[in-house]
Amino acid sequence: MCWRRGRWLVVIAALVLVTGCGATIPRDPDGTLDDVRRSGVLRAGASPAVGWVELGDGRPAGLEPDLVESYADDLGVRVEWVVAGEEHLVTMLEDGSIDVAVGGFTKDNAWVKKVALLRPYVETKAGERTEAHVMMVPMGENAWQSALERWLDRQEVVAP
Amino acid sequence: MSDDDPGDEGWPRARFGHTDLPDAQARALRRATRLEWVTLAFMASAVLVVYLTMGSSQAMRTAWVEDLLALVPPIAFLVAVRLGRRRPSPDHPYGFHRSTAIGHLTAAVALLAVGTALAFDAAMGLVRAEHPPIGTTVVLGQTVWSGWLMIAAMLYTGIGPVILGRLKMPLAEQLHDKVLHADADMQKADWMTAAGTIAGVLGIGIGLWWADAGAALLISVSIVRDGWRNLRGASDALMDQRARSFDDARPHELTVEVDRVLGQLSWVRGSRSRVRDQGHVFHVEAFVQPDHEAEVTIDRLEEAVEALRDLDWKINDVVVMPVRELPETIPDPSGDGEARRVDLG
Repeated sequence: MCWRRGRWLVVIAALVLVTGCGATIPRDPDGTLDDVRRSGVLRAGASPAVGWVELGDGRPAGLEPDLVESYADDLGVRVEWVVAGEEHLVTMLEDGSIDVAVGGFTKDNAWVKKVALLRPYVETKAGERTEAHVMMVPMGENAWQSALERWLDRQEVVAP
Repeated sequence: MSDDDPGDEGWPRARFGHTDLPDAQARALRRATRLEWVTLAFMASAVLVVYLTMGSSQAMRTAWVEDLLALVPPIAFLVAVRLGRRRPSPDHPYGFHRSTAIGHLTAAVALLAVGTALAFDAAMGLVRAEHPPIGTTVVLGQTVWSGWLMIAAMLYTGIGPVILGRLKMPLAEQLHDKVLHADADMQKADWMTAAGTIAGVLGIGIGLWWADAGAALLISVSIVRDGWRNLRGASDALMDQRARSFDDARPHELTVEVDRVLGQLSWVRGSRSRVRDQGHVFHVEAFVQPDHEAEVTIDRLEEAVEALRDLDWKINDVVVMPVRELPETIPDPSGDGEARRVDLG
């Protein structure tokens, strides 16, 4: 019967894909991770948030900019910072002009339909509420998102 | 045999209304009931597993809703079997068999409505070029790409229904149950949903953002098609369409058999009958035209009724009416429905 043959074809195709391309799944539709590596530049956006992102005279500082700098070091690239309000950072993520945005964002923020939120990397108590902190990356750049999540999993992060 | 005669294995004698089921059908009914409970349990677990893994994949969401909808036919079947057992009451002189058709119609409308909504969502996802983000999950201390978990969930939910569907299909034929047939038919095809979703997720994995919404669109179109087919079948049955085979593929052979059997009686010159499907059992109204010299007696009429009842367990509620001329208002059931199609233009 043809449906039975079809089922096995699907299983075989899945196995081939799993074993054959395991190393390269997921990939980025727009190639963010490759672009960062090739150009040697990680374009990061920062929006001020007390303790998380501090704006002194020079580059953004604080927990999240430090994490981004440290990730860039691991990749062997340098960071180009853009400082802007949240809404502008979201627009820049949408049109692909930055690769990551930080600003003390939590997983309950309102931009979830426009940008991808990383898996929370640290939690804080704000009174009764638990806030799970996230960074924002462009939608659907899954290799980039997964690489950053993996890297964050290996960091010992202490909330400010 | 009294109403509460226990059947074999001590179960109460299986019946639909006041039709006692032959042993084969009684066994099939018990087995089908058991399988539908298993289906409910399995699909509930599938709904949970898919919910926990679906993330932001549209294909996964569509498959999840389909799994949720797959709970409707088993529930409809179990309710209909329970209601259909009831004997006719003064308020419900035909019994409660139509509960099957209501269950069937409900399932069809649910499929149609939800399938349309999902197809719209998927199409909009494609139009807006939404890139579904699928990141990682920590499983037992390991960081893995969530897509692999989705694929594992789909392998789990894809295999069970195929087995259940194939087990239920022959029972649907034995019991002449349209809801059970619709359920088995959809479940048999469920592996395509799973395979489609896996293809969509793997597509995202290799960087094709449209694979997810594309898979979701195909799955929702198949839900809409199921809904439409079932809606037609269920509404035709409610409009007293002549009885059809359990899979609605062709008119039921009993619709013609009835007239053949009546024609074999020595005193009958011709007959014309209406056989409608009440859900499980048939309702037969037969008009018989006696031979000129023949005398119509109660005995002869009862003999006719018995002859029809002996045809099949599904035939129990039978009216045989002697007439001088065969009613012209009833089309010949051996016709192929051509006249109706012409009428509809």
